[in-house]
Amino acid sequence: MTDRRRINGPAAATIPPFFEDAGLQELKSAKVRSRPPNVIRKMYLKTGVTPSASGSAYLEIETSAKPGVSGLKLSCSVHGPRSLPRSSPFSPHIVLSTHVKYAPFATKQRRGYLRDPSERDLSIHLEAALRGAIIADRWPKSGVDIIISIIEGDQDRETSKSQGEEVWDMMNALSGCITVASAALADAGIDCVDTVAGGVAALVQDAEDASTPSIVVDPIPSEHEKVLAACCIAYLPTRDEVTNLWFRGDLPASDMELYTSLVEKGVQASKYANRVLVECLSETVG
Amino acid sequence: MTTSAPTLAIPGQLLGPASKYQPGPGTHLHESNLYSSLLGQVHITQPARAPGPAKRLTKITPAPAPAELPTISVAPVRAPSSGSAATSGGSTKKREVLPEVGNVVLCRVIRITPRQAVVAILVCGDTVLDAEWQGLIRVQDVRATEKDRVKIYESFRPGDIVRAEVISLGDQANYYLSTARNELGVILATSEAGNTMYPVNWKEYRDPETGLTELRKVAKPY
Repeated sequence: MTDRRRINGPAAATIPPFFEDAGLQELKSAKVRSRPPNVIRKMYLKTGVTPSASGSAYLEIETSAKPGVSGLKLSCSVHGPRSLPRSSPFSPHIVLSTHVKYAPFATKQRRGYLRDPSERDLSIHLEAALRGAIIADRWPKSGVDIIISIIEGDQDRETSKSQGEEVWDMMNALSGCITVASAALADAGIDCVDTVAGGVAALVQDAEDASTPSIVVDPIPSEHEKVLAACCIAYLPTRDEVTNLWFRGDLPASDMELYTSLVEKGVQASKYANRVLVECLSETVG
Repeated sequence: MTTSAPTLAIPGQLLGPASKYQPGPGTHLHESNLYSSLLGQVHITQPARAPGPAKRLTKITPAPAPAELPTISVAPVRAPSSGSAATSGGSTKKREVLPEVGNVVLCRVIRITPRQAVVAILVCGDTVLDAEWQGLIRVQDVRATEKDRVKIYESFRPGDIVRAEVISLGDQANYYLSTARNELGVILATSEAGNTMYPVNWKEYRDPETGLTELRKVAKPY
């Protein structure tokens, strides 16, 4: 369905063409990872940014040094616990509703103002991840709305659309969404069993050693030749539980070890993110 | 674990073994350990100490054992951001509460029908609620005696402020409330002329200006 009420910009933004051979050479060589394979990007997290919400948080993930590559910027607000609308049936526990929305300018491809299926998908994954962390029966007959706006969508403007498959970017966005929503829930004072944080691990093929794929955490698709498979994990560190697991990619079914090691790396990435989360929360109360 | 409990807690933080503390608000129990479920300050309240073992002439009965455990609870340092900008940060403020069964609430009558009065719950216990919750006082819950003679319009009018007790979480929209106790009922009423009235007996309010009385289920003054 098209949005006819607003004036939308052109569907896709392009960068102006430039015709310099030296520049192209540089682009080719830039396809290397700037960090060790088991280190995530730097993260900035702050709670209590939206005064009108019951709880809110803002997350920013380091922008790559390469020009044209944006980082991830998320803003999350939690409204509630509040009374359910009259039409909804009785619920003995809290009703969680999650909304993830890309800002129209967040990605290469301009997004509409209406929610599209990929945003709906992210909301469902986020809800599953949070449901395992919330103590839902502390708040009977009430609902909580978790609204995340993706202000900057962690995409490389220079990779062509065919190469950068969008799902890898969505996984990075989802892991950020989980972390920021967890901080906002804690800020809102909604009972949780633990702080849940998201992490991504991927099996990538690098340009220089084309033979052996390797596992990295927090992958940026533009830094690798090809992403073979990735998984996004929501993990509770003190409980040692996984609340959501999203696996995507093409792996040989025979090699079970590859699957488990990928999941393990994802758990590790989410532990790193959780350290930031814990630090941020301790700062707010301290 | 012998170390003392932490002063600040984040969700999922270990507070201590269940053998040492009793779980209070903002905590939860998992595998016989107590964990925080909120972000905030840890409070440990010692149990109200019984005046020692009760001495009788013939024997000494020990105080019950579980009451001796101190209660550990976590309270948010600052209220959920809504409206807390004006209040000073850092002071412990009570969190938003939901009406629970057994709570005494203050509510305003919105509309009445012959079978029930629909009210909006404004205050629960000592806290003013952020959200407005809807409640229902059915005709059989208005008073304890002569239930079949109760008429809603002789008990409540729209605009009255009522003190009531929550008896059930009710259906999807309403909490069920009851005023079937002497100290429950209308505490503030306005007459048809628009004046605030004073109670004269358990079922009447009088308008000080016109001198007319109106029927209400009057709450006994404390």
